Amino acid sequence: MSVPATDPTANTEATAPTAESLSSWLADRIALYLKRSPSEIEPTVPLAEYGLDSVAALSLCGDIEEDFDLVLEPTVAWDYPTIEALAGHLVEELQSTEGGSR
Amino acid sequence: MLSEPAVDPAAHEAQESAVQARVAELESRFGDPDDPANPLGTAGLLAADEAGELPAAGERLLDDIVLNAEFVPGEFGGRLDRLDSLARVMRQVFRRDVALGLGYGITSFMAAANVWTAGSEEQRRRLAELLLGGSKVSVAYHELAHGNDFVRNEFRADPVAGGFRLHGRKEVINNADRADAFALFGRTDDSPGSRSHSVLLAERDQLDADRFKVLPRYTAVGVRGCRLSGLDFTDCPVPDSALVGARGQGVELALRSFQITRSAVPGMAIGALDSSLRTVVRFAVGRRLYRRSVMEIPHASATLTGAFLDLLTCDSLALVGTRAVHLLPDETSVYAAAVKYLVPKMLTDTMYDLSIVLGARFYVREGEFGIFQKHVRDLPVLSLGHAGSAACQATIIPQLSRLARRAWFSGDEAPRSLFRPREPLPGGIPFDRLALASGRDSLSASLVAAADDLPSGSPEELAVQGLVLRMLDELRQLQEDSLNLSPQDRTALAGPASFALADRYTVVLAAASVLGVWRGARDGDDPFLADPAWAAAALHRLARRLGQRPADLPPGCEGRVHEEVLRRFHERRSYDLYDTPLSG
Repeated sequence: MSVPATDPTANTEATAPTAESLSSWLADRIALYLKRSPSEIEPTVPLAEYGLDSVAALSLCGDIEEDFDLVLEPTVAWDYPTIEALAGHLVEELQSTEGGSR
Repeated sequence: MLSEPAVDPAAHEAQESAVQARVAELESRFGDPDDPANPLGTAGLLAADEAGELPAAGERLLDDIVLNAEFVPGEFGGRLDRLDSLARVMRQVFRRDVALGLGYGITSFMAAANVWTAGSEEQRRRLAELLLGGSKVSVAYHELAHGNDFVRNEFRADPVAGGFRLHGRKEVINNADRADAFALFGRTDDSPGSRSHSVLLAERDQLDADRFKVLPRYTAVGVRGCRLSGLDFTDCPVPDSALVGARGQGVELALRSFQITRSAVPGMAIGALDSSLRTVVRFAVGRRLYRRSVMEIPHASATLTGAFLDLLTCDSLALVGTRAVHLLPDETSVYAAAVKYLVPKMLTDTMYDLSIVLGARFYVREGEFGIFQKHVRDLPVLSLGHAGSAACQATIIPQLSRLARRAWFSGDEAPRSLFRPREPLPGGIPFDRLALASGRDSLSASLVAAADDLPSGSPEELAVQGLVLRMLDELRQLQEDSLNLSPQDRTALAGPASFALADRYTVVLAAASVLGVWRGARDGDDPFLADPAWAAAALHRLARRLGQRPADLPPGCEGRVHEEVLRRFHERRSYDLYDTPLSG
């Protein structure tokens, strides 16, 4: 089984992803790791409480990089441990890379 | 192609001869292993093992030459400048006795790596002082209930005014009863996840003796002389100054600094296989069955040749692992895990193969071949301690799909120097440049790049070329399989297929290492390493390990390797990449 390679929200050419669209992308993706439904994952509860292990957190980091063409610290999911925090951080990262010379 | 580091020939010579001198001194001080009067001969080592002690003469010798200086960076007065040299020097100890290598010192190095990576200037200075003064330092990470899942560790280091309060147990800790300091991994925050632990360096003298005790010693199958016990703390205070790095940085620090020890320790243990191979060659040369020597029996001779090739393969991967820390620090997370996974596994497998040639002698605990069963029991500790095999695979698994997408068949190849055993390295270990994950793989890129540039004159060279192409097929298959991994198969609870994928990848990395070492040696002064025969035969074994059915090797290929097995036996040279003169 393979995961969807791209997601419409990831298309930075058209509309930059918002915290909201990123949250829903993250919930969908994390749900796959945890074998849960996205609606079960509260945006403010630390992902580790749902059992997202450190190996999965690193894999998630790779997924984000791939779909959003970002380079992240592998520890990003540790420092932004909830969907809300992670989405907020990603918005900032995307804005700063957009402003920078890519 | 990356630029090669500038080489000053005089500095090169000085580095190499300094290491050679340390290796030679250890070898000569350990003396003739077969001399029954030598307390550090095999008879003495076996007696200490039977008594469950480290050989006292061995500990005195290592104190005397200040072995601990090998674990202390040059800037703090020690001799630790290069990781490949550390492995090479320590191999001389492991060649004689794994328990002595581990029990005297290596756990001190594991503890120290954390402090060199993230400790304050004051902590580093103090630790150097302790080690250079002959102290042991315990690495107290392990809790039996949690194995390698150390994010779930329960040992508490509760932040309190002015410091921390330690509470709980650390189990199966080497030298807990006699270490002067402990590197402790404890929970400093109740939240789940990977920012809730910290590393603390506590000195025994500064702890309230009523608030901690040493747990009873464990008895183990192997390394019987190691003093494995544990620590039990009851609300024991330590000052703020004990914290190594930042609070909450423990998991990250462990993952970073253990890349250094995971790269280096398996290369040390190769010494035990080296001695075991020599023991079995001696048996095969001396014993007569079916009116010929065991060495003339094709199965026995092929097993010994195969063991030598496996040793060279392990050493090639270990060499690349240690040199990558200097040359490719951001890629080391994967290579360190590959070394720590594959080398101990191959060493253990090869010991089993050798035991078949030794036959019933393998079951005898004393006498001429008694040391063999000791190495058989001692070596598996390498696969168990300090990240088990599965934990190493779990380090690789989440990186596979990223490497498959970004790195394989596209990146730059590694500098040639990565593969050259005696070549100088930029000084000092770059503790601060190790990354937790990388999107590059210069080692496999070297395999890919080499494919277009291999000589094809002799049958042996053609064999290497054919085997390299098979390895590239394997890498292509790995790429496809890695891209198809489901999310669940990229977690710690991934299915067996993910672990098998990580296993195959490490074999490809070993093949890339063998190929690199041979290519690097072609213009060198070691005629055996320059010969394609060993590379072809080693790659052939790796291909079969992957389940491939490569074409038969050209006639003469294994014969050339077999000759070398005998030459090194009769001339008393080591069986690793360094072809080192041995005592006796």
